[in-house]
Amino acid sequence: MNAVMTTQTAMRPCTRVYLLLVVLTLVTFALGHFDLLSGSRALVLSLLVLGFALIKGQLIGDFFMGLKGLRGPWRFVILLWLLIPGTLITIAFTLAG
Amino acid sequence: MSATLTAAPPVRYPPGDLAIWIFILAELAVFAIFFASYAFARMGDVAMFNEYQATLDKGAALINTLALITSSYFVVRALAAIREDHRKTSVRWLLAALAMGGLFLFVKSAEYVHHFGEGVRLSSNTFYMFYLSLTFFHFLHVVLGMVILAAVALKTHQGAYSAGEHTGMETGGVYWHMVDLVWLILFPLVYVMR
Repeated sequence: MNAVMTTQTAMRPCTRVYLLLVVLTLVTFALGHFDLLSGSRALVLSLLVLGFALIKGQLIGDFFMGLKGLRGPWRFVILLWLLIPGTLITIAFTLAG
Repeated sequence: MSATLTAAPPVRYPPGDLAIWIFILAELAVFAIFFASYAFARMGDVAMFNEYQATLDKGAALINTLALITSSYFVVRALAAIREDHRKTSVRWLLAALAMGGLFLFVKSAEYVHHFGEGVRLSSNTFYMFYLSLTFFHFLHVVLGMVILAAVALKTHQGAYSAGEHTGMETGGVYWHMVDLVWLILFPLVYVMR
């Protein structure tokens, strides 16, 4: 009985991922809204926000687009895409200071 | 032994039609160039980019981000429903996803009306050139994604998809997720990062 109830009330993995995406989005917004991305810590927090975005992108690729569990190169196609602009943006923002 | 015999074979290809993935990769490449161009153009005048970025409505961008994430989640639920042969439930999730897409378009349009009312144009400065072109290019992808989702919802309603055959819904779904994915980078890059 307990096992059945646990199964019926268990949250779907996609729902957990959705909630995580919402939390990361709210943290990103809060950092921008309360003007925390200014002064000496602007670069570090900007790159943190970018890191959140890359994590969110990978979650979308894995759990929403269905790449998690694939064998072969398609498994990493979204990760590769995220890393290319992610790296270039990091370089540009770091050089800009 | 039995477990070995009944184990699912490893899947090598992503869900949906492979052609849509080629199309998605081409789209993502264009957006990657756009994002990198924005970041490197910003190096030329950081103060100006920061000044005009402050004129953007972060609250509207938050609503739009949540709308797209929620919409993507609804599409995942629609696919889960059709895999269980729950056609009507699947249609409802797709319509909910479309409503979230509609909310995105409404909020984004309101932003454009505000900015155009303030006299902002593509030629105003480099920041607004990137802001308007990047977000409008993405806006058009949302419109196309909604047309695809509407077609998928209609076909689902007509009984075209089932637990055994729903490649069309997977194909439309991954395109919609791509639209969400692009916005997840665009939002912090253009609205938040300084």
